[in-house]
Amino acid sequence: MAEFNALTESVIKGDIKSAVAETQKALETGQDIQSIIDDGLIRAMDDVGERFSKGQIFVPQMLRSAKTMQECMKLIQPHFKEGDVKAKGKVVIGTVKGDLHDIGKNLVSMMLEGAGFTIIDLGVDVNPEAFVEKVKETEADIMGMSALLSTTMPAMRHTIDALKEAGIRDQVKVMIGGAPVTDDFAREIKADAYAPDAGSAVIQTKKLLGLS
Amino acid sequence: MRPIEIPTFQPRMKVLNREQALAIHTAALEILEKTGIKMEHPTVLEALAGEGCRVSGRDWVKIPAYLAEEALHSAPRQIALYDQQGNKSMPLTHENPFYGTGSDATFTFDMETGERRRSVLSDVANYARLVDGLENIAFCMSMANPVDVPVIEDIYLQVFAEMVKNTNKPIVFIADSGKDIARIYEIACLVAGGEELLQQKPFLLNYSEAISPLRFPQNVMERLIFCAEKKLPICLPSGSNAGGGSPVTLAGAMALGIAENLAGLVIHQLFGKGSPFLFGPNVSVLDMKSTVVSYGCPEWSLTQAALADMRDELYGLPIWAFAGASDAKVMDAQAGAESMFSIITAMLSRCNLIHDVGFLEYGSTSSLEMVTMANELVAMSRFFVGGIPVNDNTLALDAIERVASGEPGSIFLMDDHTFEHFMEAQFLPTLLDRSRYDSWEQSGALDMYGRCNKEAKKILATHQVNAKSDVVLEEIDRLLRR
Ligand code: B12
Repeated sequence: MAEFNALTESVIKGDIKSAVAETQKALETGQDIQSIIDDGLIRAMDDVGERFSKGQIFVPQMLRSAKTMQECMKLIQPHFKEGDVKAKGKVVIGTVKGDLHDIGKNLVSMMLEGAGFTIIDLGVDVNPEAFVEKVKETEADIMGMSALLSTTMPAMRHTIDALKEAGIRDQVKVMIGGAPVTDDFAREIKADAYAPDAGSAVIQTKKLLGLS
Repeated sequence: MRPIEIPTFQPRMKVLNREQALAIHTAALEILEKTGIKMEHPTVLEALAGEGCRVSGRDWVKIPAYLAEEALHSAPRQIALYDQQGNKSMPLTHENPFYGTGSDATFTFDMETGERRRSVLSDVANYARLVDGLENIAFCMSMANPVDVPVIEDIYLQVFAEMVKNTNKPIVFIADSGKDIARIYEIACLVAGGEELLQQKPFLLNYSEAISPLRFPQNVMERLIFCAEKKLPICLPSGSNAGGGSPVTLAGAMALGIAENLAGLVIHQLFGKGSPFLFGPNVSVLDMKSTVVSYGCPEWSLTQAALADMRDELYGLPIWAFAGASDAKVMDAQAGAESMFSIITAMLSRCNLIHDVGFLEYGSTSSLEMVTMANELVAMSRFFVGGIPVNDNTLALDAIERVASGEPGSIFLMDDHTFEHFMEAQFLPTLLDRSRYDSWEQSGALDMYGRCNKEAKKILATHQVNAKSDVVLEEIDRLLRR
C-alpha cells in the first residue's frame, strides 16, 4: 500500500496534476489496476469522507478530491480488461415529479461518484415511468429520489408503486432524501434507506450494497 | 426670528459605492446578453423573440440590455399594498421597511407542548392571527406547509383561505401554477369586493421563484403572466445562493440573481406594462459544512443591503428581503443573535418588503415565539433608526437649568420635562426584560423564550380579528369545495 502514499496524498489535497502524474507512474510500472483504485484512490476518498464528517474539511475540498479521483480514473479506464475491475454499483438518481430543486441531489450524485459508484442522473421533475424505465434499462442497483417539497413527497410513494407494477421492486434498492423527508417517511413508503445529507448517502449506499 | 430647525439624521447603512453598483448591474446585463436564459414557456419564448431577443436551440434565449433598461423604466417605482379593509398599510417606497413572516415551514414548534412537529392547517390560522395582533409585523405569509390539507394539489389555495379568514393584514402568497393562482385570485376578489377594487387596492403579492442558474420553468411563467395581466403585485427572487445556485463570491451571486430578476421583469412588463414588480433575488450562502442554505448568515444581510444601494443608485424599484430568521434548531441565544442581526441591518439599509420573520432551522421550522420576539426587535430597531432629534426641546437646557439651580432634592425624574417626553425619548421594551433579579425570579424566572411563549398565547387567546362577512366566508368555502 505504501507505494500509493503519494497518490493518496494528492487526491486528499485535490492536486489534480500530481495525482494524475502518480497514476500515470503506477500504470507505467505495471501496478495492479484494482490495487491502484482500492489502495490509492478509494483509500484517499475514504479518508476525505472521514475528515469531512468530522468537520475538518469543507464541501468544496471534498468535491475537489472527488474530481481528482475522476481524472485519475479516466487514465485508468482504457486499461480495464473484462472482469478486471469490480463495478461498485449503479445508482439511478433524480428529483421527483413536480419538484425542481436539484442542488442537494447533485451534491449526492457527486459524492457517490467520488466514492466510486456509477451515477445515472435523470435531472429534475422526473415522473415515475421515467425512473422505472431507467432502472430497467441500466439494471441499476440503487434508485435515489430527492424531494424538497412536502407536496412532492407523495411522488416518491408513486414511484415505488410504479416499480412494483413493473415487477422490479425486488431488483433495486430505493434510497430517498431531501429536506422535508424523514426516516419515518422512508419506512412508511417502504423505501430501503433514507439519508439526511450527502455524506450519509454514501454510507447508506455502501450499507445497502453490503460494501461496509 | 425662529431658529432654523435641525433635520434629524436617521442612521443609515451603505455597503456599495456607485462604481460597485454599476459594475454588478453591468455584469447582470452581460449575463442576459451573452449567456442568456432557459425559457421553458413557449409563448414567452415567442414573445421574447418578437422583441428582438436571440433564440437558439429549443429554449435558450439571449436578452439585449436595452430591453432590461426599458422594463426598469416602465415598472412602477412604488408599490402600495393595502390591508384587507382597503387602508394603505404598506407603501413600499424606498425609505419604508415592512416585516412579515415566511411561507412553507415543514415543521413548527407546538405552542402548548414545546415539541417540534409537522405543520398543520390550524397553524396557518394561528400564525395569521398572531401577525394580525402584532403591531410591527406588517404582512402575513403561511408559515406552514400543512400535512392535513384534504387535496394536496390545493395546498396553496387552502392556506390562502386560512390566512384570509384569520388576518386583515396584507398577504404574501405562494401558488403552484396558473391554475391555483386563478382560484386564489377569485378569493382575493371576493375579499376586496371585486376585481376593480382589488386592482386599485391590492392586499396581496405573489412570491414566485425562477430557478438559479437562469432557468424559467413553465408553471412559474404562468404565474408571472397571470400577475402581469391582472396587475397583481409579484416578486420573482431566484435562489442564487452563493456556492449553491450561483458563484461562491457574493458579487457574482448578486449579478446572477439580478440577471434572473431582470429577465423576469422584462417578461413581466411585456405581458403587463406598468404592472407592479417587487425587485430582488435571495442571495444567501450554501454552508460549506452542513450544505444547508443559511437563514442566519451575515452574507444574506449584506447582499440585500447591497441591493438596497443598487435600488438607490440605479433601479428605483422597491425590493424584496429577509430578516428575523435563524439556523438555530430551537429559539436560543443563536436565534436571538441571528434574528436581530438581520432585522437591524435590513432596517438600516431600508429594505422594503422583508419576509421570513420567525423561521428557525434554515427555514424548516416556524416558531410563534420567534415571531413574537421579532415584533419587539423591530420596535427596538425602529427606535434606533429614528436617530436623535436635536432641538431646543430635546437639548432641554431649561430642564438642566431647573434641576441644577433648583432646590435641594430637585431631580430630573421629578421634572415636568421628563414626564412630558419620556415616552418618545426612550425605548420602552415589553418582552426584553430589565427587571431586577428578585422581581424576575418572583414572576416565574422566565427566559426570553418563556416570555414570548406566554405573550403569543395571550395574543392568540385575546386578540380579535375583524371577521369577514358571512357572505364572503360562505363564498370562500364554496370555492374551496369546487
Ligand atoms: C434553494 C431553494 C430553492 C431554489 C432551488 C434551486 C435549485 N436549483 O435547486 C428555488 C428558488 C428555485 C426554489 C423554489 C421553490 N422552493 Co425552495 N428552497 C430552497 C432552499 C432555500 C434551499 C434548498 C437547497 O438547495 N439546499 C441545499 C442542498 C445542498 O440541501 P438539500 O437540498 O437539503 O439536500 C441535502 C439533503 O436533503 C440530502 N438529499 C437531498 N436529496 C437527496 C436525495 C437522496 C437520494 C438522498 C439520499 C439524500 C438527499 O442530501 C443533500 C446534500 O447534503 C430551501 C430552504 C432550505 N434552507 O433548505 C427552500 C425550500 C426547500 N423551498 C421551498 C418552497 C416552498 C419552494 C417553492 C414552492 C417556492 C415558491 N415561491 O414557488 C419553489 C418550488 C419550485 C419547485 N416546483 O420545485 C420550501 C419547501 C417547504 C416544504 N416543506 O414543502 C423550503 C423548505 C423553503 C421554505 N421554508 O419555504 N427553492
